[in-house]
Amino acid sequence: MMTIWSSWIWESKNHEHCLPAGESMHYLIIVLQIALLLAIVLLHVAYVTYFERKIIGHMQVRLGPMLVGWHGLLQPIADGIKSFFKEDIIPEQADKPLFLAAPIICLVTMLTSLAVLPFARGWVLADINIGLLFIFAMSSLASYGIILAGWASNSKYTFLGGMRSMAQVISYEIPLGLSLVGVMMLSGSLNLSEIVAAQGTSLFSTYLFPQCIGFFVFFIAMLAETNRVPFDLPEAETELVSGYITEYSGMRYAMFFMAEYIGMMVMASIGTVCFLGGWNGPFAIPFFPPFWFILKVYGFLFLFIWIRATLPRYRYDQLMALGWKVLIPLALLNIFLTGLFKVLVS
Amino acid sequence: MKLHYKPKRNLLETILQVEILQGLALTLRKLFSPPITRQYPQEKPPMYPGFRGQHALVRDPLTNESKCVGCMRCATVCPSRCIQIRFHEGESGERVIDQYSIEALRCVFCGYCVEVCPVGAITMTEAFEYASYERETIFFDQEALLANWDHFCAQSGHDETYVNPFWRPRGARESTLPASQRMKVPDDWTIEGQFVGTRVRQAQESEDARHAEAVNG
Repeated sequence: MMTIWSSWIWESKNHEHCLPAGESMHYLIIVLQIALLLAIVLLHVAYVTYFERKIIGHMQVRLGPMLVGWHGLLQPIADGIKSFFKEDIIPEQADKPLFLAAPIICLVTMLTSLAVLPFARGWVLADINIGLLFIFAMSSLASYGIILAGWASNSKYTFLGGMRSMAQVISYEIPLGLSLVGVMMLSGSLNLSEIVAAQGTSLFSTYLFPQCIGFFVFFIAMLAETNRVPFDLPEAETELVSGYITEYSGMRYAMFFMAEYIGMMVMASIGTVCFLGGWNGPFAIPFFPPFWFILKVYGFLFLFIWIRATLPRYRYDQLMALGWKVLIPLALLNIFLTGLFKVLVS
Repeated sequence: MKLHYKPKRNLLETILQVEILQGLALTLRKLFSPPITRQYPQEKPPMYPGFRGQHALVRDPLTNESKCVGCMRCATVCPSRCIQIRFHEGESGERVIDQYSIEALRCVFCGYCVEVCPVGAITMTEAFEYASYERETIFFDQEALLANWDHFCAQSGHDETYVNPFWRPRGARESTLPASQRMKVPDDWTIEGQFVGTRVRQAQESEDARHAEAVNG
């Protein structure tokens, strides 16, 4: 399937350059590529939830899902069917248009940011020059979905969840952006493919080592940005029922869920691209160039799940203190050091 | 005494967040440890002697009927008053049971009725999966209780000796027990002094004597 996809990409490039008459064919191929990417990503979302339950289960000396299929392998499919056929409840006092729009905003923005991710050399739907900025814009927009969901549901818990999300996103967008400024300074580009190319092919030339402070800040801000444990205050089950998704049910609930997991994958991809050298690995894998990229993203996802199984939730003031008093100064220090290093070297 | 709620860390430990790393190491170790989950409907829990499950009236192999003599001890000792017995006098003055019923929904499963029974007529089996949507099926009359016993015997392979070893008042001397509860106890069940059979008592007495000798001598 992957070779077909890569041949499509080649074809699309050829069409672009040689065959202006094949314009409609070109768009058809892009649509097919989008459909394929969507299918693969949504399948990944389903099975990330499965592996999350399995891994957390085993870390807690349990088994996790075991009944649907062999070792519960069909559980995500059963979950999908269940949430698809569940009753869609809209509270009477809710702000209906906003209530309906919120999950769509969340999901669409997250799916849009998939377009600029380079999975391998040339395997990118939209190779735009402001890739990193585009991702930031989309992840900030996704938090609008959360805030609107909290506001439109007209309930205490969702409102508190939405407010927390707002404060958290404002606090953590800044260190997230600042931590990647060092990467931008070193690579001199915002284009994700060029960032990968600038890191060279060996593990030791990746930005993980020169930007270790940046990576530290990025990693923590990434956890907070995707509302994962230990920063899952917007949907803190123990305090806010389910936070901003309390009033949602059925497919709309599933859309928030998908948005969260796609957000995890996008952030993991950004971490891979900016700090771990993207698709470059110790040796090239024939016929399947994104192998190393996918492996690194899986590693990040495992880390997400591992941390969820280990750490308790931060208190709200601790979250704010960490963001403003530790991460932002650290990110600024990182920028200063990177600039100093660049000046001294050149 | 001074309590250290937060142990001091040095700078390196602060930078590396050692507590978080320790926690992560623990969860990673547990990831590869065997899970303790029991897959219940397929995998039954192990049964230990003295499990207080579904009630049953032991079917006497001689008469093919209940062993109950209508002494009313179980109905008297029952803390939740869920045992009802009706009887009339027979020709030779014995009590003939008209009705023996246990309302299991009110039962607290203390097992006192089994302990006080002088003839070993009532017992608690190892069956515990008898939840039902109809209350009537959890109200056991005499036939239902006998059927419970038959069902339990057929399923588990136990016979009427099941009743005797465990269900006796703890610490009571063997000579004070009714005849039906004085049957032989398996050796591995004489733990914690629960069963004061002749052999155990003799062993204990000889040990006490040895101890006294050691103290005196």
